[in-house]
Amino acid sequence: MKEYILELRGVCKRFGGVVAANQVTFEVPKGEVYGLIGPNGAGKSTLLNLISGIYETDDGTIIFDGKDVTKIPPYTRSRMGIGRTFQTPRFMQRSNIRDNLLVGTDLADQKGYLKSFFTKRNSNFEQELETYMKLAGFSVDLDEDITSLSYGKQKLLEIVRSLLSHPKVMLVDEPAAGLNTKEIEYAMALLNYAAKEKNIGVVLIEHQMDMVMNICKHIVVLSFGEVLARGTPEEIAKNEQVITAYLGGKHV
Amino acid sequence: MIKNKIKLSTLLTLAICLLIVLILPTKMSSYTMRVVNNALIFGIVSYGLSIMLGMGGQISFAGLTFMGGGAFAAANLCSGRWGFWLDPVLAIFVSAVLMAILALVIGMIILKLNGSFFTFATIALVQVTYTFFVNYKPLFGGAGGITNIAQMKIFGIEFGNNYFTWFYFLAIVVAIVAFFVERVRQTELGRSLAFIRDNDTAALTFGINVYRTKVIAFTISGFLGGLGGALYALQMRFVGADMFTYERSTLFIIMTMVGGVNSSIGVLVGSLIITVLPELLRNVPGIDRYLQLSYGLLVIVMMVFMPMGIAGMFNALKKNIKIKVASRKTSKNLNEVKEASK
Repeated sequence: MKEYILELRGVCKRFGGVVAANQVTFEVPKGEVYGLIGPNGAGKSTLLNLISGIYETDDGTIIFDGKDVTKIPPYTRSRMGIGRTFQTPRFMQRSNIRDNLLVGTDLADQKGYLKSFFTKRNSNFEQELETYMKLAGFSVDLDEDITSLSYGKQKLLEIVRSLLSHPKVMLVDEPAAGLNTKEIEYAMALLNYAAKEKNIGVVLIEHQMDMVMNICKHIVVLSFGEVLARGTPEEIAKNEQVITAYLGGKHV
Repeated sequence: MIKNKIKLSTLLTLAICLLIVLILPTKMSSYTMRVVNNALIFGIVSYGLSIMLGMGGQISFAGLTFMGGGAFAAANLCSGRWGFWLDPVLAIFVSAVLMAILALVIGMIILKLNGSFFTFATIALVQVTYTFFVNYKPLFGGAGGITNIAQMKIFGIEFGNNYFTWFYFLAIVVAIVAFFVERVRQTELGRSLAFIRDNDTAALTFGINVYRTKVIAFTISGFLGGLGGALYALQMRFVGADMFTYERSTLFIIMTMVGGVNSSIGVLVGSLIITVLPELLRNVPGIDRYLQLSYGLLVIVMMVFMPMGIAGMFNALKKNIKIKVASRKTSKNLNEVKEASK
């Protein structure tokens, strides 16, 4: 029996008349990259927002690490170990790279403001960062502004920041968008490391099919808020319904 | 291992500050010393705002409310109006803690509001407290204010009206507050506030309870406001409601913006400039009445040309020099390579 770190059971979300998620059910195992694909507007990012708690679910339950987290606020969920990155990098624009990364370490330490004020900071930060930056394929000057980095590097650094927070599940929203081929390889290396070395369940939204087929063991396909298909990359690639959803229906 | 290396620039700044503290009193009259002291007190209140605005991105006018509250609290505790005199140092501490509690309660209510709605609530707060200060005699002495405030005494040293003693005392208090603010900036609270300032949704996904963090920051700003107010009352030995009008509350925003919202030294420089400038201009005929106008213009110009204040300007300058040095180095290297290839 496989061990699931994250389970969605019949999750629903409506925005007015638009159904963004309808009875979505899938399970994410520990230690593998789980693909979440679908055409634009299928409700993929909405689903990530539901899992991380930014949106409240209308119906259904989200079970994380054996606990029902459906009614738990987002900051508590992230402390429990739900980490994420965003479609466009969300950093503290006016802070330097060090502070932007230490936010991740803060989350891993969970010291609280008082303890953090009076005690020394986690000494593993730089060691850990070194490991991740090797995978990310570039080095950073911690005193530089975050805005001095290119878009691609910022996106890679977001994965690094999430890794620093020691999550159990990592929700990764289109990491390859806007990256060059070399950077996509680094992103894949980081995600593989997260899954295999850190035993994190990585939920990956991505349109870059080469990447998805390459690193995902299982894939769930969404279309108009509903689960269209689930299976291994080979199964998904052959699935008629999936091809129709992506390329449009046949007109006979 | 991370070594907490102290940067050269930090040491230099500290040395300059120490030098100023040692030299300044020898060049000052008793009156100008008092003006500088006021600037230091305003600096303490501005530090509170710097935590809210500079770190957390929340524009708050409420600093003056807590300064006023702190001033009246200390005045009540040290003037025998209730039949007892509290030790001044204890009174200062009690006033600051009282204002922290008040800020906590008020913050829990108005920080349910976001962004500019929160700002409007703080403006209203200043108006409401001013009305209380003017009209409620038992606590605030009405239009006449509270006089007969006991003189400051610490470790047996009586301050009297000696503004030089006050200056050294205030310099120490400001140093402690500045150190505290710097420490906040470098630890989890400062980073959480910065995250809320730049992206509160993302902050939620990094374990940051946005509402609670804002309330904590507001409470700290209340404490610092109360501390500044209590010191103000004891130095002036008089407190009146007129010191805490809405116009005054904008001054703190101007002070922090001129100096640099996110810089501990900048906040102090801003307070000094905004407090000392009117005193300097007072003797220039015809200018004093344009003071309010010039503040307004100053803020507009600052916002357009140096949004991060004087401190921000220095940082930009430093970065420019760094880039120039680096590019010179690379061009030098290029030349060397060219030479070698010849």
